[in-house]
Amino acid sequence: MIWVETLINGALLGGLYGLLGIGLALVFGVMRVVNIAHGEFMVLSAFCAVLLSNMFPQVSPLLMLIPVIALSFAVGWLYQAVIVNRVVTSPDPLSPLLLTFGVSVILRNVMVEIFGADVRSLQVGELSRASLEVAGLNIGIMPLLTLVLAALLFMALQLVLRHTEFGRIVRATADRRDIVRLSGVKPDRVYNYVMGLSLALGAIGGVLLAVRSSFTPFSGAERLLIAFEVVVLGGLGSFWGALLGGIALGMAQLIGLKIDPNAGLLYAHLLFFIMLLIRPSGLVSSRV
Amino acid sequence: MPMPTRTILLASTIVLAAIIAGAPFVLNEGILRLATECLLLLTMAQMWNLLAGYAGLVSLGHQVFIAFGAYALFLTSGWLEVTPIWVLPVAPLVAAAVAAIIAFPLFRLRDAYFSIAMWVFAEIIGAFTMKSQAVGGTSGVPLATSKLIDFDWFEPTMFWLAGGLTLVTIAALYRMMTSSFGLGLMSVRDNDLAAMSVGVDVRHNRFIAFVLSAAGCGLAGALSFMGNLFIAPLAAFDVNWSVYMMFIVIIGGIGTLEGPILGVIIFFGLRELMTGPLGLSGGWYLVGLGVIAVVVMIVAPRGIWPALRDRLGVRLLDVHRAAPRTATAAILPAASERVTG
Repeated sequence: MIWVETLINGALLGGLYGLLGIGLALVFGVMRVVNIAHGEFMVLSAFCAVLLSNMFPQVSPLLMLIPVIALSFAVGWLYQAVIVNRVVTSPDPLSPLLLTFGVSVILRNVMVEIFGADVRSLQVGELSRASLEVAGLNIGIMPLLTLVLAALLFMALQLVLRHTEFGRIVRATADRRDIVRLSGVKPDRVYNYVMGLSLALGAIGGVLLAVRSSFTPFSGAERLLIAFEVVVLGGLGSFWGALLGGIALGMAQLIGLKIDPNAGLLYAHLLFFIMLLIRPSGLVSSRV
Repeated sequence: MPMPTRTILLASTIVLAAIIAGAPFVLNEGILRLATECLLLLTMAQMWNLLAGYAGLVSLGHQVFIAFGAYALFLTSGWLEVTPIWVLPVAPLVAAAVAAIIAFPLFRLRDAYFSIAMWVFAEIIGAFTMKSQAVGGTSGVPLATSKLIDFDWFEPTMFWLAGGLTLVTIAALYRMMTSSFGLGLMSVRDNDLAAMSVGVDVRHNRFIAFVLSAAGCGLAGALSFMGNLFIAPLAAFDVNWSVYMMFIVIIGGIGTLEGPILGVIIFFGLRELMTGPLGLSGGWYLVGLGVIAVVVMIVAPRGIWPALRDRLGVRLLDVHRAAPRTATAAILPAASERVTG
């Protein structure tokens, strides 16, 4: 019974991990850039939420998600417009990688200097401890809500990309950056919005993860690695694959922690590495 | 004019070797330690550059080879109970062996996938090291044979080893890049399809560069931790090793031999300036370095040295090859004038 509970909790955690991965997958799918600073931006959004909830202690920290998401969208838009767009068309595929890695180092150390290296977390009071009892299994309300939210966001993103004009423009830009210009689309502008959207999704994941477990300015690397593993495990460009990948990683992590309490992310990393060996194309290899 | 260049290079190598040999008798211990650190980091940066600048593989997990080299040295020296200097060759061998094994799964991945998978690999090995009590766990291990070291000559010896390693590394890289192997490697970086079509074995070249780069980092890492007489996993598996190597190479000039030298000068110059007279913390120093790297990547994507070189017309360790000029001039005089003028 305890193992079933671990598996279910792993799956619930996986919804959150899927959210971490989806922003990274979106940017990669549209502009072929792996944004190494994605994890640092998530931690930054968590710090923003902590600051806001210290300023307004009477408001629920979960409501802080709304300003943090808006802020993250703006930050992403600017980040793309000012920095990433300058190398996105570089003939060398390594340039965006190195550039975003540089940005991640800057962000991490600025956060260390401003907020200090202490361990922080976002308190949501009763909600974080509340749980449901279903058939003798203890299931947390907060993780359950997170998974539902993740699934809803995945569906919304899929609908937006498939059925709206914005989605069509984004998909067209992803396919042929040079041709969309003929229809009056400015690819750099589209990229700005996509990066904004990516960081907004990352902010949701970052804040919810900060509710679940504590973080430091150094947590960005860990979050980036999870996000990346989710994307690769799920198969590139597949949103539902990312959710599945997240669930697999969440289960691996919690099972690992059950066997070995101070394992951290070791078992999630191991699962990723083994999957890479036996199935490099990911769990779901179809493209959206 | 290939002959005079060769002579100049040989002469300057001899002069540099003489300077390295004599430096410990002139410099005080603090400066000598700093110089040793500079030289080791320069070697690591050259090794990272061999992989990123010439083979087109960016590794964000190169710290794993530094750690493998260092742990190999510490453990072997402890088991055999001999002075660590005599077991130094173990470090590059272990790092190279690990690289040769891990290359098989990792070489299936390209670009960013390779980079991050290397990072995940480093994280996994780091986590296992922290769990394993046999290698000291989280708290690390001191150098068991430190009592065998002659401490009167320790700092000078470390400096000589680091200096010798740096000179040998740069000379070997220069030889390699002017050989047919180097040409093949650079052709893979520039266009792997075109390189394959003229018969360059892409995988083989990348593999050799990867293994050599790991071996060099293993040796430099072993020397670095030997100087500390202590090793702990948090320091050995620190992703900042990769950050330093990357920043040095990016700022100085990726894909050039001179670039990392310039990069190391900027790296340590900025560090001494910011943490010394300006009294700023290590975090702000990394922020400053990162800002410089990002600005360089946007303004001069190939780094500072190539930009300077083109402006000043200086060539030091140039491995660039020009197309036969007489032939171009005969066919397209106007074009060749434009190119050379």
